[in-house]
Amino acid sequence: MRETDKHNADRVLETYFEAARKDCRAPSSELMARILADAADVQAGFPVARASGVRVGGFVRQLVQGLGGWPAVAGLAAAVVTGLWIGMSQSSALIAYATTYDEPDEALYLVDLSADALFELDEGAL
Amino acid sequence: MPLDMMSDIPDEALLERFARGDAAAARALTMRLTPQVMAHAYRLLGNHAEAEDVSQEAMLRLWKIAPEWRRGEARITTWLYRVVANLCVDRLRRIQGESLESVPEPQDERKGPAETLQGAERAQALQVALGHLPARQRQAIVLRDLEGLANPEVAEIMETSVEAVESLLARGRRGLVADLAGRREELGFGDA
Repeated sequence: MRETDKHNADRVLETYFEAARKDCRAPSSELMARILADAADVQAGFPVARASGVRVGGFVRQLVQGLGGWPAVAGLAAAVVTGLWIGMSQSSALIAYATTYDEPDEALYLVDLSADALFELDEGAL
Repeated sequence: MPLDMMSDIPDEALLERFARGDAAAARALTMRLTPQVMAHAYRLLGNHAEAEDVSQEAMLRLWKIAPEWRRGEARITTWLYRVVANLCVDRLRRIQGESLESVPEPQDERKGPAETLQGAERAQALQVALGHLPARQRQAIVLRDLEGLANPEVAEIMETSVEAVESLLARGRRGLVADLAGRREELGFGDA
């Protein structure tokens, strides 16, 4: 095909394409209604959306799976809560325990020896 | 949310809203995507009733896949073009048995003076000529020359290379020119 013939052919063909683009018919209202009805039916079968809007199946599910499932996440949560409680409450028992080791008094060195220990002390075994 | 406020929301975000139970997102997606889906199906099939059935089925598949849709993997329109093309091929197989090289003649539903109908008649003539092309050439021509997509996107939809698309387009256009040559005078191209 010569160049001018090809140019003419392309020009004519483009006129057909243009006519076809303009000829596009809008979808009927019945079709739109059927599609929307399908959408409602399918949507009714989806799991109920969370109130927060976080979709199950997205980031949260991946995170839970990555940590080893819901039981592992529950254990982790309990450990975190316990740690927070210990840190925040400053339990008096813990403070006394820590003070004992920080500033030992003589009571710490009193040892209740057994009855036989005296003989062993005499013999230099202890 | 009102429909006009959803016009700036990307398709993928609307589909996520649909999966979370937002009915307004379904309406927005239907209004936005159905015309494209319907036009594509008609151009591949040449029959409005068949194209409507294909459009409904393609949109139904979109609704069903919504909860598993992964944002960023593919564009929704690309996915829909592919689904429509596959559905059309299946339908043509069913209608015509083994042959995929011809489609039903488009229905001539318009009558009137020749002058006012010339554009419509050209569109009709092109539709008939498209139906004579092999399926892959027809799909490439429809996506590139009628839907106005770029070659790389056509290649992605057709799951082939850009070079293969260019080859399909060249052969398809030559086929159309040859097919339409005999009708040029009656369609007002006597001087071309």
